[in-house]
Amino acid sequence: MSQVLHDIEKKIIDSLQKKSEQTPEHLSESTELSIDQIRRGIEWLRLKELAQVQESSKVEISLGQNGIDALENGLPERKLMKLIQDGPKTFDEVRKSLSGVGFNAAIANAKKNGWVTIDKSQSGSRISIKEKPIETPEEKLILLIGVKSIPEEQIENKLALKFLLQRPDYIIQNTEKSKIVSLTEKASHIDFTLSTTGAIDVEADVPLVFAARTHPLKDAIDEIREIFIKLGFSEIQGNLTQSSFWNFDALFTPQDHPARELQDTFYLENMKSEKPATSRQIKQVSASHSQNWRYNWQLSESQKMVLRTHTTSVTIKYLAEKKPDEARIFSLGRVFRNEKVSYKHLVEFNQIEGIVIGNNTTLRDLMGIQKEFYKQLGITKIKFWPTFFPYTEPSLQTMVYNEKLGKWVELFGMGIFRPEVTKPLGITKPVLAWGGGIERIAMLKYALDDVREFYNNNLNWLRTV
Amino acid sequence: MPVVELNLNRIKKLISGSVTKKKIVDTLPFLGLDIESQDGDKIRIEYSPNRPDYSTDFGIALGLQGLLGIKKGIQKTNIKKNTKFEIKVDPSVHEIRPFVTGIIARNGKIDDETIKQLMNMQEDLHFGIGRKRKKSSIGLHDLEKISFPLNYTTTTREHSFVPLNSESKITIDQILTETEVGKNYGWVLGDSKNVPIIVDSENNTISFPPIINSAVTTVTTKTKNMLVEVTSLDKDAAEDMLSVVTTILGMAGFEIIQLIISGKKNSTPKLNSRVIQYDVKFTEQILGLNLNPSNIISSLKKCRLDAIQKGKKIQCTIPRYRFDILGPMDIVEEIALGYGIENLVPKLSPSQTLGEKSFLTKKLEAVSKIVVGFGFTEALNSSLTSKKVLFDFTNRDSSQIISVMDSKSQEHTILRDSILPGLIENLSKNIHESYPQKLFEVGTVFSKADPICETINLAGVMAYKESNYSEMKSILQSILKTGFKIDSTTITPKDNVAMFTNGRHSDIFVNEELIGSIGEISSDVLDNFKIRTSVVGFEIKLSGLIFD
Repeated sequence: MSQVLHDIEKKIIDSLQKKSEQTPEHLSESTELSIDQIRRGIEWLRLKELAQVQESSKVEISLGQNGIDALENGLPERKLMKLIQDGPKTFDEVRKSLSGVGFNAAIANAKKNGWVTIDKSQSGSRISIKEKPIETPEEKLILLIGVKSIPEEQIENKLALKFLLQRPDYIIQNTEKSKIVSLTEKASHIDFTLSTTGAIDVEADVPLVFAARTHPLKDAIDEIREIFIKLGFSEIQGNLTQSSFWNFDALFTPQDHPARELQDTFYLENMKSEKPATSRQIKQVSASHSQNWRYNWQLSESQKMVLRTHTTSVTIKYLAEKKPDEARIFSLGRVFRNEKVSYKHLVEFNQIEGIVIGNNTTLRDLMGIQKEFYKQLGITKIKFWPTFFPYTEPSLQTMVYNEKLGKWVELFGMGIFRPEVTKPLGITKPVLAWGGGIERIAMLKYALDDVREFYNNNLNWLRTV
Repeated sequence: MPVVELNLNRIKKLISGSVTKKKIVDTLPFLGLDIESQDGDKIRIEYSPNRPDYSTDFGIALGLQGLLGIKKGIQKTNIKKNTKFEIKVDPSVHEIRPFVTGIIARNGKIDDETIKQLMNMQEDLHFGIGRKRKKSSIGLHDLEKISFPLNYTTTTREHSFVPLNSESKITIDQILTETEVGKNYGWVLGDSKNVPIIVDSENNTISFPPIINSAVTTVTTKTKNMLVEVTSLDKDAAEDMLSVVTTILGMAGFEIIQLIISGKKNSTPKLNSRVIQYDVKFTEQILGLNLNPSNIISSLKKCRLDAIQKGKKIQCTIPRYRFDILGPMDIVEEIALGYGIENLVPKLSPSQTLGEKSFLTKKLEAVSKIVVGFGFTEALNSSLTSKKVLFDFTNRDSSQIISVMDSKSQEHTILRDSILPGLIENLSKNIHESYPQKLFEVGTVFSKADPICETINLAGVMAYKESNYSEMKSILQSILKTGFKIDSTTITPKDNVAMFTNGRHSDIFVNEELIGSIGEISSDVLDNFKIRTSVVGFEIKLSGLIFD
């Protein structure tokens, strides 16, 4: 017997081996399982051909409204006999007393039983006792049924039942269907003492559980970080809040440039950096702005604190401080834009930016790094288009062919820092910069078309992606 | 990025060379133009804000002619001399808007599409280099309605005339307070008593810069001759703007005639080109391309610049409207564009540096690994959040709040000073998912300092019916002990902390320094978030604990 049985099944079989035919209700009592468990168990056993179910129907007899009245007060014909036991009565007198309990039925049945004589005269019919009434089979049956409900098959006098059934509302017939469960041949021989103890139904359904994991976007970020490292870049870190000086001024963005306005940049209310940079840096940057953009540069504008709009603020600060002759570095983290949130825009997203300074720093080298970067991501169909960034010249953007959309999409940008940016900060070597938003790449990876999904923290997605 | 709408048939005509529409569409990106959408012959283009000449199809056609090799070198615009047209500048404008410049454009044809293109140009100039009309602004007028000489002067706010899109005379005051354009740009004039105005010799108001023109000089499809005027806070900025318009009107087929400007500090515009000396070796240094001088010259001419060889240098001539070109780096870019970006072959030089993750990244990766090991799934929330989640729903003290100004999103108005409230909000969004739910997040939190202190925190929550303080304490203790190798942790009970249940909350100290807290989240906080199960959470400061 290789079949593994559930505890419920075992209990049902055990009970049926002791008493061979039982209704589910009986089984529930004998096994102390709930009726639902019994029903389920029977169904399993039936499918395994260990039990069979026979449907049977049974008619139960009980008294109706008039039957109960007859039980308490006698049948109408019996009542009639009581009325005339002291002498004959006219129909009118009798009808008055019997009204509502079937005068006609009383007369008809008393006559049929041969209990009464009816004399017709001009003043109306008179009724009198013919012979002393005995107890009828119908009356016996009513007494037998009483207030209980009894199976039809227990009634011997079928004729009396037939008569009573013909009279209205004396007898109620209730057909009850019931199931009788019995074991099949196979099951009656199951010996529980021989089966493997502790075995369970290995095929039974079990609940789905989920492994804890790092965030999918974090995984994408880590993957991109690893590629930068593989390409020889080292990571630097910086603050999310920056003075306007490092976010804009040091990058040659004029103070009246539309990009600096409240509607694009998050300024922090009543927050300023007293001394955003060294006096020399401030002096040089200010001079570069005044000379090239021809306006009056204000220190107060550069002191305003903002949420960084790009990681370039971190990179440029690093370069201005360390002035390396040769380096490959990158900076990765969140950046902020005051935009309306939509399926393609977030107010806060991740950006990565790599810098090459030193030898082999031509635009073609930069393009080569891009190509290798995308190759590492598994993207080989790329091309370059010219573009514009305020602080690089020349500037290019990578276009990547998206097979799913069937079109070219813009990914990372790149360029060489303008001398107007580097010179005032004392950086003498050419600086190549490249990078862009990470969510865009992660969207390709997870086939998402709504960037907000990354920050919804929807457990259904996190658990199954 | 600004946008312009083109019609390919019209562009094809303007280029006036034999070229297919497909070739035009394929070439546009190599001018640095992004195709935003295309619907048959209609095509929407995004262009860079540093190239206002691309705000019309005339300017784009000019660029395409070069790259396609149909016309190369500078597009010459001759400015004819005259004595008839003049603007006299009154000294009273000096305090408000000191400069005016302009040009006359004659014998052109204007159809509806041209009007549309010119309006797009005007809007772009106002928004971009005009800095929302504050720095400089431009007006186009029907020349026939004007009697010269004009006078650029000031007037009071009671002065009245019939402005564009109006049928009756209204005062300057009314324009500023009642019309949309007045309300949008009135701020440019500040609260000065007098405002700038251009009137003609018959004392008709022509324009009220930088707000609105008069109705009488409106340019229509019947207009053949135009007056262009630019007013500005800066003389060079005014001429920048004028040079773009002049180039575009020249390309549109107008004959350009001088407008004499007289008055203090002002002068008749010359719109002369500049010369930049370019060192050939730059091409190799920056682009990694070994081009000979004639290649370089040819590339520059394709970008509608002029160049000749002078010894080892190349003398580049830059037309007035290319004020985006500041020096040799910009010339290099022009060479790359003219040579063709598609012809630049990427090369991968081996790196001589070894890449490395930052110390912080390594530490944080280790933290994530440990916490995931305890069965917590990582969540990511914005640093910018709402007062509702961070303070109102969690009953936390909001006195040290750091706000951003004018956020376009109500859900992103303040910087978080704690991670835990965000995680509780995440639970509230997941009440239909199966329990237990365990989330953690590592991220930056902000507090007021000099001016702002950024620290990195770790927070975790656990939600299910039987979750409780002791279970979370046990996990946190293990994180600290086995994960971070910190032995000397002290936990002290804490009362009356709004977010947590009294008697089931404590502070956590390491070496007598407060590093965070842990506790069961109080039922009213859970009610606020409509969470119907028990939640326990903790938050600790990682900065200073496992890194500096």
